Amino acid sequence: MDFALLLVFILPTIAVPIVYFAAKKSAKLGALIVATVALINIGLVLTTVPAIMDSQPHQYVEKYYWIPVLNAEFTLFVDGISLSISIISLVLIFAAAVFSVNYMQGKKNLPVYYALLSLLSVGLVGVFITSNLLLFYFCWELMLVPAYFIVGNWGYRESYRAAFKLFIFTHAGAVFVLLGIGSIYMATNGITDMFLAQQALLNANPDLLRWILVALTAGFAVKMAIVPVHMWLPDAHSEAPATMSALLSGVIISAGAYAILRLSLGTVFPAVLSLDGGFAVTFLHGLTVFGVISAFFGSLIALVETDIKRIIAYSSIAHMGYVLFGLSLFPTNVLAGGAVAITAALTGTVLHLLNHAVSKGLFFLSAGSVMHQTELRNVSEMGGLAGKMPFTAVSSTIAALSIAGTPPFACFISEFMIFVGAFEIIKTDGFFVLPTALMLVATVLSLAYSLRFVSKVFLGKPKDIAEGEKKIVDVPNYMKLAMAVLVVFVILLGIWPTFFVNLISTVSFG
Amino acid sequence: MFFDYSSWLCWLLPLVSSLFVPLVAKVSAKARDYYAIGISLVTTVLAFSLVSDVTASSQGLLTSSVTWISQSITAGVFIDPLSVLFTVLVSFFGLIISIYSLGYMKGEEGLTRYYFFLLIFIGSMIGLVVSDNFLQMFIFWEMVGMCSYSLISFWYKRPESVRAGTKVFLMTRIGDIALLAAIGLIYAGLGSFSFRYAIANIGSLEPQIVAAIAFLTLGGAIAKSAQLPLHTWLYSAMEAPTTVSALLHAATMVKAGIYLIARLILILGPLAFEINMWLPTVAWIGVLTAFIGATLALYTPDIKGVLAYSTISQLGFMMAALGTISAHSSLGWFASLFHMMSHAFFEGLGFLLAGGIIHALGTRDMRLMGGLKKLMPITYALSLVMIITTSGLPPFAAFFSKGLVITSISETGNIIQTIMIYATTMLTFAYSLRFITLIFMGNKSEHMEKLHVHEAPRIMLLPAAVLAVLCLVWGLTEPLLGSFMRVEAELSLLGAFLNLETPIFFALLAPTGLLIYLMYYKQNATMVKIRNRQTPLKTILKHGYFFDDLYEGILAKGTVTFSGGVHSSENVASRGFPLGVAGSVNRFAKGVRFFETAAFGAFPQMVAGFVISFAINVRKYLDVLADQLLNLVANRTLSSASKMKKVPQSSLQHYLAAALLGFILIVILIIATMGV
Repeated sequence: MDFALLLVFILPTIAVPIVYFAAKKSAKLGALIVATVALINIGLVLTTVPAIMDSQPHQYVEKYYWIPVLNAEFTLFVDGISLSISIISLVLIFAAAVFSVNYMQGKKNLPVYYALLSLLSVGLVGVFITSNLLLFYFCWELMLVPAYFIVGNWGYRESYRAAFKLFIFTHAGAVFVLLGIGSIYMATNGITDMFLAQQALLNANPDLLRWILVALTAGFAVKMAIVPVHMWLPDAHSEAPATMSALLSGVIISAGAYAILRLSLGTVFPAVLSLDGGFAVTFLHGLTVFGVISAFFGSLIALVETDIKRIIAYSSIAHMGYVLFGLSLFPTNVLAGGAVAITAALTGTVLHLLNHAVSKGLFFLSAGSVMHQTELRNVSEMGGLAGKMPFTAVSSTIAALSIAGTPPFACFISEFMIFVGAFEIIKTDGFFVLPTALMLVATVLSLAYSLRFVSKVFLGKPKDIAEGEKKIVDVPNYMKLAMAVLVVFVILLGIWPTFFVNLISTVSFG
Repeated sequence: MFFDYSSWLCWLLPLVSSLFVPLVAKVSAKARDYYAIGISLVTTVLAFSLVSDVTASSQGLLTSSVTWISQSITAGVFIDPLSVLFTVLVSFFGLIISIYSLGYMKGEEGLTRYYFFLLIFIGSMIGLVVSDNFLQMFIFWEMVGMCSYSLISFWYKRPESVRAGTKVFLMTRIGDIALLAAIGLIYAGLGSFSFRYAIANIGSLEPQIVAAIAFLTLGGAIAKSAQLPLHTWLYSAMEAPTTVSALLHAATMVKAGIYLIARLILILGPLAFEINMWLPTVAWIGVLTAFIGATLALYTPDIKGVLAYSTISQLGFMMAALGTISAHSSLGWFASLFHMMSHAFFEGLGFLLAGGIIHALGTRDMRLMGGLKKLMPITYALSLVMIITTSGLPPFAAFFSKGLVITSISETGNIIQTIMIYATTMLTFAYSLRFITLIFMGNKSEHMEKLHVHEAPRIMLLPAAVLAVLCLVWGLTEPLLGSFMRVEAELSLLGAFLNLETPIFFALLAPTGLLIYLMYYKQNATMVKIRNRQTPLKTILKHGYFFDDLYEGILAKGTVTFSGGVHSSENVASRGFPLGVAGSVNRFAKGVRFFETAAFGAFPQMVAGFVISFAINVRKYLDVLADQLLNLVANRTLSSASKMKKVPQSSLQHYLAAALLGFILIVILIIATMGV
């Protein structure tokens, strides 16, 4: 379909006012419109699959007229990676919208909330489906505005402070991104398309390239919440409403990882690799170190945290450490045509972004369910909820086991592929032996905090209900539906990730 | 036709049927229970059908595979005698336990969840042993661990069960990552996960890599099969319902490590002997585990504890036997697997009987038992069968199997290992006798006075009886099993009696039996004093050689404390650093504001104020001036006009007239000056 991607961009945009007015009538209607738009977008995006699989180079591109004076076209494109991540993002938006029907019931200003959710989906998907640097940056910053307001207005304790932290940190990171993009523009004499820039940068100044690479990656790393620029995440993700937490942890930080893959490693890195190979390898090793540190940092703190959502938030930091570790396994050898096919390690990393998104989304939604039904936040005060909330308990356990990397759930196969990829790289680069061993140990830690979560919240002796206290029951139907959709994806991605792996495998870099 | 697919169905059927358990449970609880039994029965039939399939095949190998995720990630089956042996064991035991559960788990809540995980376990365990590639095997390896966690914490309202499940899952995970590393190395080296590919090409790997693979795999087996030093989880797992203890932690899941090493030996082939120190390590770990396990079984007062430590000990036997293979003799490999089956039968029997006893008495503490001989005669008889088998007395199964294990160990010539294994057999006899004496002999204990103790229900005794029969006859199948497993060794039943090991064995058992008899049965005064004396040895045994203190007290607590430290320092850093930055920015901003208000506020304001007041004053003066001028002009005009025309002195009219005159004058003036 010729305008598929443009529609994917436009539909949520025009839906913003529609949703606002619909939600004024009935909040449920607003939510369902957002959900429907997400479903339509999934369909639209799927229509590009044949084009991707059959064409060379496995991409589907739509170019539109935009800003000629800056040499910028409104280029919308998907390849295997973009497609996969967009689909999963849309699934999460769908789940968040459906979940909001019950979860946000009774809160104020709901029309604005749903309108913001629709606006968020524009930026969120836009980041993944464009190859124009300016449009990318536009969508990148566009994500922040609805995020700030949703976290601030409908969040929990000190929500505006948390929202402010979110905004300032990621915006500061975006400054570095802007510097990088601007420098690319200068270094390539005015190219704003990623792929054209990648070719042109091969002739650029190596010193400048080094700085661009570092600046871009640093900016994206803030979004990914890598230690030491992770500080915004625990507050933002835990004080946000559950639906926003799911989107933040599931998709928005994945956008940071995607950006590193697409911009830093895909666009700038090949040039650095060919002009200054030593620095390139050192850069990757640096990514490994930060990845390992984040993985341990997140896992260790998740092990002792007592706030239900903060445990999950630190778990996100840990998993982004895994992703960064996987990204650092970027191939440094080149194929005949000057391109590099995607390796098992990178396929695993991208797959892990997908798997983590659905698992973490499910995890946050179930934590939100627990908070919604029990009005508790501290896990020390919970216990034995499995009997009272069986559906939530099962969903949450599935999410926790997936996060811990247990088959047959999602994150196992992607973590496995990353490790296998790491062992492959060890053959040529002995540096990775210790980091790989450490990451293996980190998986034991992730199991530890996951089991701790499940034990403290759902298992154990149920606490007695005091006189007059509300009886604890399981969640209402829309919340169940949202979690069920994600459970299906967690299991599906665990047993049959073939569809996405086939898509991702078509990608090549350089 | 159906049986053509039995190699796939034997694991897919239980896995898929588990998904329907909740649906069937909605029909009725009984339907669900019988559904589970039915599926186990069909699975067992499928497993037995594989026996004839693999015997008939010339190479003793049947494989088939399909692409799963990509070229190198496939799903497939690899059926050889080793796989079939395990498949038959798992499916058969699944059936036994499903039937036993009818009685043991009667009235429990959450049985839907129980049967769900039971079926997933059976499917996963079978899937583990019939997998044709390392990835698939690892997936099922992890899944049985997950089932173990779920089933151990079945009574989730008990904090001890939850804690035990968590501990077991975490400890076995440590082994899992070692196995994962080994598989990673295999794939990196060979480019494939397939067993067949590995068998053909393992020689192409460098010796260090092969050694690393072998030792890492051993790490995985150590955790899963509860070998030293990762053996402590098996006792904690006894928090599970006894059916689970029997199925997972005696008969099947713990044997996964044995399967793994046996499979690895087959894959490595002659390479196994070339890996420096690997086989000796396997043997030593086995022997030490056997010995330590037996000592702990002799000490513990917990009925399930005896069985748990006995399992650890017997697993040590199996592991040790695997380590004795050499280029000349693969007897140990066969002995290990032969003993594996015997052990499944007698230990499984032990757990089934223990379940009945725990059910009747409501306690696991053997010190509160006694005199059950008369009250539970069938259980007593079956227990006799069990302990005779455990001890390895003829003509019961373990005489042949354990004898073969001892033979394989002594054939290596390693004196210390041989002595230790003989010592272990003495200890085994000792703890078995102690077991039966404490529970069944003597008089009724105080605890039992208040209870109405009855024999276990028939539905529970029947599976136990089946296992007892197997304990009797299994040993006699030795030659049959040998030919099935395609082992090149001289195996004859008579040979078991006519070798050197047997008389030594009996010679050692006699005094042991006497000692135990005096200490526990006869309650000989001196022996009882010795028994009750507090020695350092007792303290060491009580703490399980302090392994758990190390793991829980130091490693686990240490990690948590360290995490707490990281957490608090992170709080400081993550609040402090941004606040520090924000503070500096704030101060800078204040300075800028001061400068801005001063430079761009106060001064211009001053200037503007001056200008404005000047303008106002000018206007005031101008106004006054203009007014006066106008008045002057108007008055003069008016007076001259009135002089000229005596017009009535109406002020407005005059003003207007004067203004008009003045205006015309100004226009003339302007026109006049413009011309210049």
